[in-house]
Amino acid sequence: MKFILNYIRKETWSPYVAGILLGIVGILAVWASDSLLGASGAFENLAGLIGQAVSPQTFDNMYFNFIMPPGLTYGMMMLIGIFFGGFIGAATSGTLKWGRKDAVNSDEQWKRIFGPQIWKRWLLAFIGAIVLEYAAGIAGGCTSGLAISGGMLLAPAAFLFIAGMFASGILTALIIYRERY
Amino acid sequence: MANLIIALVLGAFFGFALNKAGLTKYNKIVNVFRFTDMAVLQFMMTALIVSMIGLYGLRAIGLLVFPNIPATYIVGNVVGGLVFGIGMALTGY
Repeated sequence: MKFILNYIRKETWSPYVAGILLGIVGILAVWASDSLLGASGAFENLAGLIGQAVSPQTFDNMYFNFIMPPGLTYGMMMLIGIFFGGFIGAATSGTLKWGRKDAVNSDEQWKRIFGPQIWKRWLLAFIGAIVLEYAAGIAGGCTSGLAISGGMLLAPAAFLFIAGMFASGILTALIIYRERY
Repeated sequence: MANLIIALVLGAFFGFALNKAGLTKYNKIVNVFRFTDMAVLQFMMTALIVSMIGLYGLRAIGLLVFPNIPATYIVGNVVGGLVFGIGMALTGY
């Protein structure tokens, strides 16, 4: 028991142990609610919700009516859960940076590559997130919604996605890091 | 309604696992593309194997029915993956 408690307090688990936990969560999602894990879809539901309130004509199309209906969905609740789960994870290991001075940009490696400016981090995160969400829209899911939950059902789409993701991810990292790669 | 609460609880465990595996950090995500830290792949593949065995096993003994699997449309999946990789290496999502 003490061993388990101590393990929970560790900042970084063995990825194998954390992976087993995620695998069990994936099974439970299918078994208990006949749904798959996912994160990116929730943002589209939310965007649809806001969009229909602001400009109903623009959002009255096939995509938002049938593929990604707006509203409080399973994915949105899961996203809220993910936020608090991450929160609890950081709190148990004592690395929660809520309100601390270096909370926004605390990654040493990031600072070494791009510099210590906080606005750079925000800007890059914002641009990158647009790219991510757009790509998730094209592919039909993100790392969790397509690669992991599709992969566990052996969907071919998941493996095509993973292949594409790594091909361009490696290339982008090469371009960013160049001689420091 | 019950479904939404299940989603919240499962999401919390999902987030917890991501945090403990270190996948909420920029360096973990980008280093997998530099081949210096394979935690992302180890985490993903372990999760895949565990849930594959679980799901196919439970289906074999008739305890669950698979939901609709994500649709395969080769160009969309590959192009989406390619663009996604750029964003992933940029932000460390």
